[in-house]
Amino acid sequence: MHRPHDDDELDPTEAARLLARTEREAQRQFDLSPQWVNAVMGAVILVAYGSLWLSTRGQHPYTGPSLGVIALVYVPVAVAFAVSVKVYRRATAGVGGPSVRRQQAEGVAILVSFVLGSPVLQGAMHHHGASDAIVYGVIPAAAPLIIVGTTALGIAASKADRPLFGAALAVVIAGVVAAFAGPSGARLAAGIGLFIAVVAYAAATTRLDRSVPRRA
Amino acid sequence: MTADGLDPVIHAPARLRIVVTLAALPDGDSVSFTRLQDMLELTPGNLITHLRKLEDAGYLVTDTTGNGRASRTSITLTHQGRSALDAYTDALRLLLGSV
Repeated sequence: MHRPHDDDELDPTEAARLLARTEREAQRQFDLSPQWVNAVMGAVILVAYGSLWLSTRGQHPYTGPSLGVIALVYVPVAVAFAVSVKVYRRATAGVGGPSVRRQQAEGVAILVSFVLGSPVLQGAMHHHGASDAIVYGVIPAAAPLIIVGTTALGIAASKADRPLFGAALAVVIAGVVAAFAGPSGARLAAGIGLFIAVVAYAAATTRLDRSVPRRA
Repeated sequence: MTADGLDPVIHAPARLRIVVTLAALPDGDSVSFTRLQDMLELTPGNLITHLRKLEDAGYLVTDTTGNGRASRTSITLTHQGRSALDAYTDALRLLLGSV
């Protein structure tokens, strides 16, 4: 890529080009959620939830997915998680300040709601004698979506982040639908809802990026 | 100002790229010297020279913590720097629009 030398005379057209190119490159490098990551997430969600739904469809009584399917689900989920962490680390390497501290606090809030929310409900349900279909079928599919989605809704509202608010709302609605869809249907509802949320978020952020006027 | 009405502090390839890169961060955030150098592919000496000019104009602040090899320099665009870039962009648009 040709870049004008530091001592070069810079004419306005060249300056405008350099400005636009540098801005695009900087935004790409600092981007925490590039579109290809959203595409990977969408694919992982479809594979994971689709496999769980197919493996539990029509079970009477509910026995849950087989170990093979669970392994099949956890591998892409682990890969997607590792990819996200790597992208985040690369984007924030050497970057500090108020927005980074806020993102870290938001990440902790999401993680805590994810890790604690569903197991606590499952434990309470099991303690009170709920069936396996509820404890191991409906709750693990629906509860994380409602709890994490609600946490994300609060974060989005506090930042007036419309794309995130819309995606979080879609996740909460998917969780509510999943809660009433039965142990197998819950996975299908959760998968479809999450996929829609990821795709809608990607589309909304892309549209927003295009509607923001470039500097030059 | 240059003859075109452009801010001469920003109107140099390296300094323009420094300011635009810093402006891509949210307000108040900083970037380390090493990361900025990697992104802009400038030599340390060259980058220091341009950072000093921008700092003298009040467009950015640098903050060094630690000593020797463990030292870390972070660079933050000031409000004045962000406003200067906005004004530079407006001037550029005006110039290009009138061509």
